Amino acid sequence: MADIYLVGVGGQGIITASRIIGDAAILAGKNVIMSETHGMAQRGGSVACTARIGDVQSPLIPDGSADLILSFELLETLRAMCKANRNTKVVSSSEKIVPLSVSTQRLKYPIAEQIGVEVKRVASEFVIVDSRKLAEDAGAPMSSNIVMVGALAGTGATGVDRKHFEEAIGANIPRGLDRNLAAFEKGFRVTAKSGKA
Amino acid sequence: MRNFEDSWKRYFHYVSNDFATMDRVLDATPGSKVLLLGNEAIARGALEAGIAIATTYPGTPASEIGDALARVAKDAGIYFEYSINEMVAVEMAIGAAASGVRALVSMKHVGLNVAADALLTFAYTGTRGGFVLVTADDPSCHSSQNEQDNRYYALLGGIPLFEPSSPQECYEMTKEAFAVSEKLELPVIVRTTTRVSHVRAPVIVGEIMPGLKKKDFVKNPERFVTVPAVARARHLVLLRRLGDAEAIAEQSRFNKVMALNGGGERGIVSSSAGFNYAYDAARTLGISAELLKLGFSYPIPRKLVSEFLRKHRTVAVVEELEPVLENELRALAQHESIQVKILGKEDGLFPRALEFDQAIVERGLARAFGLKDSVPSDAPAPSEDIPSRPPVLCAGCPHSATYYAVNKATGRKAIFASDIGCYTLGVSRPHNAADLLVCMGSSVGTAGGLAKVNSQPVVAYIGDSTFFHAGIPGLINAVHNGHKFLLVILDNRTTAMTGHQPHPGSDRGPSCCDVTPVSMEEVVKGCGVKWLKVVDPYDIKSTTETVKEALAQPSVSVVIARRECALIAKKDEKGAIVKKAYIDQEECNKCMTCIDKFQCPAISTKDKVQTIDESLCSGCGVCVQVCPNKAIKEAK
Repeated sequence: MADIYLVGVGGQGIITASRIIGDAAILAGKNVIMSETHGMAQRGGSVACTARIGDVQSPLIPDGSADLILSFELLETLRAMCKANRNTKVVSSSEKIVPLSVSTQRLKYPIAEQIGVEVKRVASEFVIVDSRKLAEDAGAPMSSNIVMVGALAGTGATGVDRKHFEEAIGANIPRGLDRNLAAFEKGFRVTAKSGKA
Repeated sequence: MRNFEDSWKRYFHYVSNDFATMDRVLDATPGSKVLLLGNEAIARGALEAGIAIATTYPGTPASEIGDALARVAKDAGIYFEYSINEMVAVEMAIGAAASGVRALVSMKHVGLNVAADALLTFAYTGTRGGFVLVTADDPSCHSSQNEQDNRYYALLGGIPLFEPSSPQECYEMTKEAFAVSEKLELPVIVRTTTRVSHVRAPVIVGEIMPGLKKKDFVKNPERFVTVPAVARARHLVLLRRLGDAEAIAEQSRFNKVMALNGGGERGIVSSSAGFNYAYDAARTLGISAELLKLGFSYPIPRKLVSEFLRKHRTVAVVEELEPVLENELRALAQHESIQVKILGKEDGLFPRALEFDQAIVERGLARAFGLKDSVPSDAPAPSEDIPSRPPVLCAGCPHSATYYAVNKATGRKAIFASDIGCYTLGVSRPHNAADLLVCMGSSVGTAGGLAKVNSQPVVAYIGDSTFFHAGIPGLINAVHNGHKFLLVILDNRTTAMTGHQPHPGSDRGPSCCDVTPVSMEEVVKGCGVKWLKVVDPYDIKSTTETVKEALAQPSVSVVIARRECALIAKKDEKGAIVKKAYIDQEECNKCMTCIDKFQCPAISTKDKVQTIDESLCSGCGVCVQVCPNKAIKEAK
């Protein structure tokens, strides 16, 4: 049983990422149920998807009970802490997308260190992934989301083999597969202890 | 390199050779397990049922049903259309189903308000071919203006109702709904919610039946023409058929009793998304209970439910939104003189507003059965000073430019009647472009009422798709009755909010179909409007002046602010040179006009300096016109 909470900003490719995770789970022979944000909230707003791998019926993850939080944006990482507990692993992109409210309401976007302190106060582990740079290094600048899928796979939290993730990437994004697999690999290495599985 | 085509095929058991054009809704092989969105599962179920025709008007959370069918219609050999509105979508489906083919029509919950007139009387005439209407409710108003419970339409119209809880059930119940519809000769409703339609899970699919695609209409006015004499007789037929429907519901495999943790005296009755939470919550609580899951929930199978009530001393009803099942159960217990404690919303165990989650249901069930719940009370509260991130109008959105220009022209002294679409997001500052909004098309009608009793100028905003959907009668009414207001049609050439579906003004239809674009100008003029101008909202000066001129007219005036949705333009112009804007910091005097009066997601304040994020800038050039100090410049 693994409850993965995916958060970020509309337009970051989170639905594609969650579909890949779901396909990978099916390829691995596991049950999976996911919920997604569609419609109005996608216009640059906060979005949250869930992926629950295992024997459950309901798609939503109760507060304080995510096993892993995969965040595509730093501020959203902070917002997702309501789903965390002492055993939650948090994997976050270093990407910062400043919400309009920061400018219009003269608010402050918290500094990364502050976010790190807050996350570590609530959760067990905090890994930051420089997804934008890693995607560029892989020759796939649009594939930050695939880097994050790699980072999720690298944690081993899903119990899904790496090869199933790779197959699922091929199934969902047939074009530019080599580059996307390279992006996946970059993310995988950040969180995988052994480097290569 | 490994061959991923093979793994893709293995996953879906595909036999097709054309890897690139495979679609998981259409091409998944019978018996295979495929990850589908609830909405996609409905589309697959309808295809397997052999539909000849599918219609819709897009609306969250139902849109992906139509989008999936639009994608595959040509290959599946069915007719699909994005209709002008839900009413016409239902009428299209009625015409086909009354002839004898199977028809699917899908919409969001409030769409059924628009279509109800057609549906409720169609229940009287009944259908020949299977007729299934999917309505997707939106508890918590994720993307809606209300959270009405459309199960009431089943009760109101005497229309059999299915309530799936999962993508697998979406698929199975849609198929079954067609069979039931044909058997009873009645329309059938499949009602989902956001957490059913937008849930993705494995679905084991079956075979796509070819189905009947053409039929000769057999005339029978004594049945299909609802003059009063016919309607009176047909109402009695409907009531008789509801009795038949109940008999089917008694036997339906979608109505079943499940023993949780060995079963016992405690009873739970649930349906739709509520079932998922009830099931998980009961397991977390470790309570032994029997759970009656109602999938074919109207007409309620009275025998099955009475038996269940008799067997249990306490029964908790877990359903989102309205106490529909709860009230039916209470009525049944009273009628059958069953001694049972029925607990639900009336007892404050479950809320009547907003969607459920497992914690809500866990607490409710624990209270119902006198147990302690395990919901942690010390879940970390989200820090209050996290800057909010509501959805916003995109960088380069032509609506932002229009709002800026109209605010300039009116000095913000007008009353703004707004409508349903992306542009409703203009309600927040700095545009404050919405003062009244109730439903699709309401801007035009309410503007007339506002103008009659207020002395301020009135501006109505409506999108292009919404104008075609429900704005036209309001405009004719305004012309005929002499209302004076300005209607601004925000024409971005698409139905943007729901995923860029076409509308009657579009020159491109879905890939399956040829369409004829309908000229908005001709429609407006045809409504009798005497003063009409078309502007490019990216040209702030000309838009502002045109709005001033329009407001000075003695009768209703129309400005069409036409510019393609920035997201589509971005896709179309891939690779083209875009003149991005930048802020010349030496000339910027921090007046904050760009932030406080215009607002673009690409412009932000970092370390007290305003900058433009080049990766977000669309090159629309509007901020260049907005800056009073000419500090914002276009890159050469």
